[in-house]
Amino acid sequence: MTASTQDAGEPEVDFDVVVVGSGPAGSVAAYRLAQAGLSVVLIERGEAPGSKNLSGGVLYGRVLDEVFPGFADEAPVERRITRHVTTFLTPDSSVGIDYAGRALAEPVNAVTVLRARFDPWLAGKAEEAGVFLMPGVRVDSLLTETGPDGATRVVGVQAGDDQLRARVVVAADGVNSFLARSIGLRRKEPTNHMAVGVKAVVKLPRGVIEDRFGVTGDEGAAHAIVGDCTLGIGGGGFLYTNTESLSLGVVLRLDDLVRSGRTAIEVFEHYSQHPGLAHYLRDGEIVEYGSHLVAEGGLAMVGEVATGGLVVVGEAAGLTINSGLTVRGMDLAIGSAIAASDAVAEAVAAGDVSAAGLAGYRRRLDASFVMQDMRTYAKAPAFLERTGMYGAYGELAASIFEGVFTLDGTPRKHLTKVAWEAFRRSPVRARQLVSDGWAGVKAL
Amino acid sequence: MKIVVAYKWAPNPQDAEVAPDGSVDWSRAKGAVSEYDPVAFEAARQLADATGGEVVGLTVGAASVDSPLARKAALSRGLDRLVVVADDRLADADGTRLAAVLAAAVRSIGDVDLVLAGDSSVDVAEGQVPMTLAGQLGWLGMAAVSGVTPSADGVVVERDLPGGITTLALTGPAVLAVTTDAVVPRVPGMKDILGAAKKPVEVVPLDALEVPDVVAATTLSGSRPETGNRRGVIIDGADASSAAAELVAALRTARAL
Ligand SMILES: Cc1cc2nc3c(=O)[nH]c(=O)nc-3n(C[C@H](O)[C@H](O)[C@H](O)COP(=O)(O)OP(=O)(O)OC[C@H]3O[C@@H](n4cnc5c(N)ncnc54)[C@H](O)[C@@H]3O)c2cc1C
Repeated sequence: MTASTQDAGEPEVDFDVVVVGSGPAGSVAAYRLAQAGLSVVLIERGEAPGSKNLSGGVLYGRVLDEVFPGFADEAPVERRITRHVTTFLTPDSSVGIDYAGRALAEPVNAVTVLRARFDPWLAGKAEEAGVFLMPGVRVDSLLTETGPDGATRVVGVQAGDDQLRARVVVAADGVNSFLARSIGLRRKEPTNHMAVGVKAVVKLPRGVIEDRFGVTGDEGAAHAIVGDCTLGIGGGGFLYTNTESLSLGVVLRLDDLVRSGRTAIEVFEHYSQHPGLAHYLRDGEIVEYGSHLVAEGGLAMVGEVATGGLVVVGEAAGLTINSGLTVRGMDLAIGSAIAASDAVAEAVAAGDVSAAGLAGYRRRLDASFVMQDMRTYAKAPAFLERTGMYGAYGELAASIFEGVFTLDGTPRKHLTKVAWEAFRRSPVRARQLVSDGWAGVKAL
Repeated sequence: MKIVVAYKWAPNPQDAEVAPDGSVDWSRAKGAVSEYDPVAFEAARQLADATGGEVVGLTVGAASVDSPLARKAALSRGLDRLVVVADDRLADADGTRLAAVLAAAVRSIGDVDLVLAGDSSVDVAEGQVPMTLAGQLGWLGMAAVSGVTPSADGVVVERDLPGGITTLALTGPAVLAVTTDAVVPRVPGMKDILGAAKKPVEVVPLDALEVPDVVAATTLSGSRPETGNRRGVIIDGADASSAAAELVAALRTARAL
């Protein structure tokens, strides 16, 4: 259990790396660090990985394919998303745009996952690679010391009466990241940077799900729902198919919710009883229910991601994107874990885990799809939310949707650019698009 | 003193789903040390520390009772070593059969002075395994044990019975089922869990044990506990003070106040 790379004269460490949090970010970072030959402990406060985690559950999986090629065949994934439906709700109607394309299925683009099953699998992969998995332990604080360069640096973690020392700590502790905050890398976010998600898992027989959502076998559908579902509060709803259940939820901007004077549960109840969704949910039984914060600040929330002896990954670093129609966090968490683990392995090998030694993480992150997408969506107000209604232009809409929903691990193009490129390839002319589009929308 | 703690790796009730008809679906439940067993680990540890003895954890069940997670969960709670019988032929074993396998394992461990156990398992809750185990071993069996302390030639046992608290001196080997509040079990810390990974685990094949045949009982019928005459009054909590007034009024009408 002691370090594999101990140099004479250096202080004793219990592990090369302590990773805090076994969500997608922590488990992937731990796995890759163990693969690089380092001794790693993965600490999780839940009794088992996944027990504390709530997520809408569409994983844009191509980045995970880089870590575990063909993971969708082995991991406990629920369904492969072959159909993206965007539904606009009014109090008594719903208008849907249904995008089912072969580009979504081959290779696997997005899958639904239930975290209670998926997280233990990922953590198990790390354990197989030699990571010491330590569930049931809540890390209380970071241990810090003044390094040889005079700067404060992180040298381990404290939980209860126990301390563990490490060369590098990876903070993968999720949206609130008390660890990143405690060392001043993040502040307490203003409420307009946060959203609250309420989610339920609704049990239905497999065949019923397939009939109602128009999918077969292991195919699945992801519905994004906007409009009346949130009672005018900024945010949106989702409805995703699992093998034998649906993930039903709303994501509500916290500042807007507070202003409305309503509770998140109230909005969720309105949403779940909406007539526009009744035919999907009928006779379903709620088997799980919970609520969780989501980071929504986008690029503005991502600050420093590394300091001496510490890197911050996943949602702890503020890496989530809410495009209005999709909430993405798991794929960004995995992308940041890849960048961080490479940089940490390099820094440990070079014997320099100071802020400068770990700066490779930020460089790698900036060059990856993670920060490129964060930048894209920082500038783009959810373009799709405004233009997605031009559904009459089937071909055009389809190629926009393909561009938006197909995440192959390459950086996303700016949304307007996606639409524009699709538009240029389409026979529809601009003026016609705008005027007919609006007329069409009003007429619906 | 050599103390064995018989414990169960049981499905966690937090993950169980109760259907509207009252049936329980355990299929999504993950394993955990059965909630009432850590008390037995702690009582055994304290006794062993006071007498200079050894604490051996023992669990029997399906193959899934032996995983790295399951081993650490048990060994981080004060055990010195672990003996596991994990075989899918035991997946549906009832309490009588599990007790017979436990007894065979206790015999194979050898020179055991005392077996401690929780007073029942969290999933089955029949409270029958410790006493059947005592019968199988031909030892003294005692339930409702609320305290165990060392004495010159054995242990002093305190029992919390409906008639009051009794204190007894034991000299021979015994199986004791401890109450849930006998001692306060430790919450394993990081060093406990790291230490757990270094402790020895002995996997005993089921076929290596001499397990006598047991008599099987057949369930003829079952009924669920009476839930009482519930009125099912739901009070809207939107306004706290009017909700409180309504609650008081409802309790008055029901003559509860
Ligand atoms: C309602 C909702 C819907 C969402 N839908 C989607 C979606 O469809 N697709 C998508 O990609 N993303 C979605 N997200 C976002 C996604 O869930 C997160 O971005 C993602 O889980 C981040 O992964 P992570 O590994 O960084 O953190 P997490 O998954 O939050 O993991 C952090 C882990 O750290 C542990 N931990 C925290 N503090 C400590 C401590 N002090 N000591 C020990 N352990 C600790 C926690 O228990 C947890 O296991 C959704 C989020 C919500 C709330």
